[in-house]
Parts: sequence; structure tokens; C-alpha cells
Amino acid sequence: MEGTYRELQPKHPAPTSFIAKYVLSTDHKVIAKQFLWAGLVFLAVGGGLAMMIRWQWGYPGAPLPGTNSPIGPALYNKLFTMHGLIMIFFAVTPMMIGAFGNLCIPLMIGARDMAFPKLNMLSFWTFALSQVLIIASFFVPLGTGSAGWTTYPTLSTQVGSPGLGQTLVVVAIFVTGSATLMGAVNYITTVIRLRAPGMTYMRMPLTVWGMWLTAILNLLFVPVLAAAAILLVLDREFGTQFFIAATQGGMDGDPVLFQHLFWIFGHPEVYILILPAWGFVGDLLSFFARKPHYWYRGTAYAMIAVTVLSGVVYGHHMFMTGMNPLLGKSFMLLTLIISVPAELLFLNWLHTIYRGSIRLTTPMLFSLGMVFVFGLGGLTGIFLATISTDIYLHDTMFVVGHFHYTMAAATLLATFAAIYFWFPKMFGRMLDETLGKIHFWTSLVLICLVFGGQLLVGYAGQQRRLWDPHQYTFLQHLLPLNRATSWAAFALGVSQLAFVYNWFHSMFRGARAADNPWQVGTLEWTVSSPPPHYNFDEIPTVRRGPHELSDPSFEKLLGRDWVSQAELLPELAGTTAVPQASPSAPLGAPLAAVMARKEH
Amino acid sequence: MTRGRGLDGWTGGASALLRRVGAVLVGAGALLAGVAAVAQAAPQPESSWGYPRDVSVEGHRIDWLLNVTSVFVGILFLIMAVWMGIAIAKHGRRHAAEHDHGNAKKQIVKALGLSALIFLIVDGNLFFHSIRDLDEAFWNFAKAETHPEAVRIEVNAHQWAWDARYAGSDAEFGTADDIVTFNDIRVPRGVPVVLQLRSVDVIHSFYLPNLRQKVDVVPGTTTHLWFAAKETGEFEIACAQHCGVHHYKMRGVLTIYEPEGYRAWLGEAQANARVAYDAADLLGHWGWRWDKEYY
Repeated sequence: MEGTYRELQPKHPAPTSFIAKYVLSTDHKVIAKQFLWAGLVFLAVGGGLAMMIRWQWGYPGAPLPGTNSPIGPALYNKLFTMHGLIMIFFAVTPMMIGAFGNLCIPLMIGARDMAFPKLNMLSFWTFALSQVLIIASFFVPLGTGSAGWTTYPTLSTQVGSPGLGQTLVVVAIFVTGSATLMGAVNYITTVIRLRAPGMTYMRMPLTVWGMWLTAILNLLFVPVLAAAAILLVLDREFGTQFFIAATQGGMDGDPVLFQHLFWIFGHPEVYILILPAWGFVGDLLSFFARKPHYWYRGTAYAMIAVTVLSGVVYGHHMFMTGMNPLLGKSFMLLTLIISVPAELLFLNWLHTIYRGSIRLTTPMLFSLGMVFVFGLGGLTGIFLATISTDIYLHDTMFVVGHFHYTMAAATLLATFAAIYFWFPKMFGRMLDETLGKIHFWTSLVLICLVFGGQLLVGYAGQQRRLWDPHQYTFLQHLLPLNRATSWAAFALGVSQLAFVYNWFHSMFRGARAADNPWQVGTLEWTVSSPPPHYNFDEIPTVRRGPHELSDPSFEKLLGRDWVSQAELLPELAGTTAVPQASPSAPLGAPLAAVMARKEH
Repeated sequence: MTRGRGLDGWTGGASALLRRVGAVLVGAGALLAGVAAVAQAAPQPESSWGYPRDVSVEGHRIDWLLNVTSVFVGILFLIMAVWMGIAIAKHGRRHAAEHDHGNAKKQIVKALGLSALIFLIVDGNLFFHSIRDLDEAFWNFAKAETHPEAVRIEVNAHQWAWDARYAGSDAEFGTADDIVTFNDIRVPRGVPVVLQLRSVDVIHSFYLPNLRQKVDVVPGTTTHLWFAAKETGEFEIACAQHCGVHHYKMRGVLTIYEPEGYRAWLGEAQANARVAYDAADLLGHWGWRWDKEYY
């Protein structure tokens, strides 16, 4: 068995040239950083677009501050279209899945790299190409896509969106989907084949569970999106009419077909983005409550259940398309059933922190914040899962508020939790805790105001994607609320500067990170920060689950409340010394104070 | 009348000019008064947050379900927040962590039981009422259609307006006596109004916020919607699906009359329709078979 692991993961010499080391790198840790940088840059772009949308909603038709030009309806449509696409495919996906999937999977399962390092490199550079395409779409005649991130035909065909921009956007989605697919194949294979000896599925950190299930969903459903994208490009540029219906009979396509294809992918997509978040949070709540994850298997099973169910609920996006009532009701039941595993996840998270010994570090705050906003996002979802309430709320700002709480707030807070948690491992330095806490509290409060404001105007019936909602008499009274929400959004944008400063400052000037600054037992913390080129000189042998914290028997033996997954305990080794223990290097002073348990 | 007075003063000179200006101002004032009279009947702004005024016979079902579910999820969210709050406040770093894997049989049964219980109460209530409301009201087209006084209208959506067609006195769509309106649908109070909808260009969504109804309007497919109003007045027809540059302007007005008012309007519109009919305008001859078996 040991032999197999060695054969699968030979040690190659570390690259020496700049290109091989930083550009065309096959090292999962470098690729993780590439994805993280790319994602952060596009997060800023997508955020900037959001600010412009909010300006228009707060001050419809007024010139953008500092310019003479108002945002016209045509430009506005491009703004919200590209905000959605950029945030989903070019910011959250690369940061969460590209960066932390790459970083965490090999390090947490005790592997030296991904199963296919070259495919991993190709995945990033394919993704980079899709970023070039999406940026290029802004600079062609008639500008970029404006058919909404869902690109529903026939609006997204030449019938509604002439010009090259929309085609480039659809091609970019296809290319980024290809990159995602390469990553998915790699993640799935790595988890199946390269787990260290003793790392059974039920000993994997929940982060790895989340990434693995996400990769499986990507592998199954991204090809459906790719198919829809190809058919749409054929309709746009090659004269086919898969989605274009003739108004007077004859051979014609069906625009609703696209919606089926899109949402067969699109609904799993929201779980693709949230499963890694659940994984991070499942691990971090346990780590910082210094307590094993409550019913770990139940959490893993719940995540598997959601993964399975996510493929059979997509019809709730199409309740209003005039679908067969029996089909609609079936989708309603299946969608509501997802709340069972979701409730189980919440119960397990809450039980995990309850009776713990909570250390409110920045990653822990972001994890708790994720639970809070995901609670709001999940609970507002059941209004939309139900057909009769959806009749009123469908395509309103309530939907926008709901999916921003889940896909934006929850995923981004979880991603920030991951950044604050693994930054020391990635860069060998700590992020500043004070700035981190400022970043957290401003983000949490303002996120709730911004997306809460969206829920409120949606409850009042305001449709989404209106250039000026107040053209409607029944929405006129919402202008002050929309304007206040806009100001909360501007403040949210500004508050991210705390993170930007922290990121750059800490990367170069931050306190040196210890190997295991958070004093937890998963395998990535048994190697140096940042890890050596091949992660593990010797592939570790895993002996226990990822959350063995505050076990009285270990505490007595080791004098600390954590134990590494691979640690050989002295009594088992037959010695009294503790040579296997990961070095508890001295912590930075502020962090040590946070992490240390205070005596009564 | 005002114009006449202005003309009377048309004698030249400065005083005459002043009189002319005065006349124009008076005329403008009268015009504004006229607009104001129309505006009074136009859709009224809402006064408070929350759902817009419900003027439909069945909409209370949706409002009730929204309210009840809001209370349910409010309670669940409160429990979650308090639970987190207690843990953070009381089980901080001064508190020794309890070593508990939470995988004892009793704990598992408790967690599963609690999840199932919440599901049965909250989701069960939603599912049960939604199915009932759909069967009894929102998607029960048979009930609406078999009503003896049901009003049938065809809506043809296009960027960025709603064309509506009434069958006219012969009860046949697509004939010379059809009444065709633009962004203007008028219906009687108290009877089911059944709509067939289609789009000629992109997907729209026909949305009546005050009547709690909505359905997508799709090129190549006919969709349906019905409602019954319980109050008279003017309310907005909105587009809920992004349909292009001027999506935000795809706004129509729904006028709800008392049945006698509706008949009076219909009679007048019928007479005008015959005059306005243009046999050469082929594009104006849209209209679809009224298929009883669409569900």
C-alpha cells in the first residue's frame, strides 16, 4: 500500500526559472495563489459594477459622481449582466473552488500535489483565457452582453442582443466551464486516489468533503451549461434556431429549452458555490470552538444529500413558464425536501459551537457570520420554493436578496474565513487580526442592510433589473429605501479597503506565521508555513478524524487540547517523549492571547 | 372658451400681447387640470412598505401564506441567533470545551427528529396550502373558464408594450369586430378574467402586483393566467422578466370597472373598433385558437 502512494507521487525537483515557478507552474499551491489573485481582481471589478447599479437605483438618471454622464438603460443592462456573470464565474468560483480547492485538497489529504498537475496548470490558463474574453467583450462595438447573467434567449440571441459582445460573453462562459471541468476531474481523482494511508472518507476534513462534492456536481452539470452555450452561439452566429421561436408556426425552436438546460446546471451551481463554504465553516466552527464537529458523519451525509437533491430541483426557477402543474408541484416538493439536510447542517453547526470554548478569531467571526447570513438566505428560499408564494415573488428583488444572502454573502464570508485562516499557510505570514475584525463587523452589518433592503423592496413587489423602479407608481414610495440601501452598499464597498490594506500589508510586513498558528490537527498544519515544494517529505499516516479537540485523554497526555490527524501518541509509540508532535512554535503576541484558554 | 377669450383680445400692441400670454397660461392651466383629473383615476402610489394593496378575490391566500411563513422563519431565525448568541457569550474561552462528538444514538435521533419536525410544520404548511391554493384558485383554469360571465382577453407582448385583444360581439378572436388596446386592459369587477398570452420577440412576464398574479410570456408558446378583482380602480401591469433596454418602461394600466361601467366601455370600444379596423394590416390580425385543453 505504502509503495503505491510513493509511485503515485514521485518527488520532482522544484522548478528554478521564474516562468516555471510562478507562471506555468504545476504546483497546486502556486496555482491556488494564481486563482486567488485572479478572483480577487475580478471581485473588485464585479463590486465596482455593483456600485454603479446601486447608484442608478439610489439616484435614477443622475450623472455618476465625478462625471457628466448618467447611466442609460442600455449601459445599465450591461452592468447588471456583467456584475452577475463576473461575480459568479470569475470571482467566487476561482476564489473559493480554484484557490482553496487547490490549496486545501492535497495538503489536507496528505498528498504531494494534485493527481494531474499539468491539467491543473491548463485549467488555470484556460480560466485566464476566459477572463481575457470577458474583458474583451467590453471593448467591441455595441459593448458587452446585456441579456442578464441567465442569458435567456431570445433576448440573448440576435433578436434581442445584436453585436459581438454577447457572443464573446457566451464563449467566455464556455471556456471558463472547460477550465472548471479540468479542475473537477482533477479534484475528484485526487480525492479518490491520493488520500494518505489511513485517510478514510470519514476522516476527511469537511473542507475536502465540500470541495469533492462540488467537483462532482461540476463534472456532472457544467457540460450541460457548455451544451447550452454552444447551441446559443450557433443560434447567434450560425443561423440555427434552437431557441428562436417563429411567431407564425413553421420549423421553430423553443426558448424555454434553454431555461431547462441552463437551470439543470444553474441550480446545482448554487450548491457548487455553497458546498465548499459549508465545508470551511464546518471545519472552522469546530476548530475555534475547540470541540469536535457535532455528528461529523451527519454533516457529511447532509452535504451528500444536498448534492444528490440539487440535481432534481431546478424546475423551481421555471414555475412561471407555464409548466405542467404536476411537474411544477413535483419540483416544489423536491425543493422543499432540501430543507431537511439544510436544517441538519444548521443543527450540527449550532451544536458544535454550543458548550465549546469559542475563540473569536477573525476566521471564526467570518464563519459565524456565514452561518448567520446563510440562515437568512436559506429561510427566505422556502418562499421561492413554494409555487403560490413564488407567483408573487418570482422575478422580484426578493429573489435578488435571497440569492445574494446565499450566493454572495454566505459564500464570500466563508471565502474570507478561508482567506484569514489559510493565509498563514499560503504566504507564511499572519493577516492582521484588528483589521480583520473591522473588516468582518463592517461587512456583516452592511451586507445585512444591503441584501435586507433588497428583500424588503422585493416584498413590496419591486421587480428585478429595472433601470428606474420608480417609473411604476406602486413602487414610487420605495425610493428612500432604495437610496438608503445604495448608501449601505457604497459603505460596504469602502469597508473592503480594510481587507485590501490588510492583504498587501500582511503579505509583506505581517507577523511571521508559525507552522500551526491556530493549533489544530488537520494535515496542512503539520508542515511548514508556507509548505515545502512537495508538501510532505514522508506521506503521513492518518490515525484519526480532523476535529479531535479537547479530548481529555489526549489533553492529559499531550498537555494541549489538539492532536494532529497523523500524530502517533506516546503510549502507542511505546515512549514517553512526544517527538511526533508538530512544533508549537511561539505565536504572535495578539493571537496567542486570543488562542490561549483563560483560566478562571 | 379660454381660447375664444384670447382671440377676442387679438388687437395688437403690448396689452394685447399680455392678454395672449395670459390666455396661453389659462389654457395650460386648464390642460393641467384635465391631466390632474385623469391622474386621480390613475394608479395610486402605495402608502407603506409591505405588499401592495390586494384587490383580487384570491390574493389573500398568497398574503396569508407569506405572513404565516414569515412568522415561522422569523421564529427559526430568532432561535438560531439566540443559540449562537448564548454560545458566544457563555461558552467563550473561559469555558472548557465539552468533548462531544454528537454521534450518540440519542443525539442523532434528536437531530433528525428536529429536522423532520421543522420540515413537517414549516414546509408541510407551505406545501399543503400551496397545492390547495393552486388547485382551488391560481392554476384552476377550468373553474375560471366555466364561469358564465368569464371575460377572455388575449395579450400579445412585444418590446416594450402589451397589446390586448377582446373577441368583440361575435366572441371570435381574430375577426373584424375585435377590440384591440395598447397598454390598456379593462375588466369588470367580480368575474374571472382569463388571459391567453404570447410574445412576438423575447420572453416577458405579465405581472399584476395588486392582483398577486404573474406568468411568463414566451415566444412560440401560449401561456395562461386568470384573476378576479374585488375592487375597482386603476392598477399597474408590470413586466417582471428582463426583456431588453426599455424593460423598465413596459408598463400598462389595468382598469377595473363595475360590471355596468365595463359594459359601457365595451360598447363604445366596440363601435370604435369597427371604424378602426384595417383589413390590409396583416400584422394587426394576431389572435390564437382558444384551446380548452391547455391543462
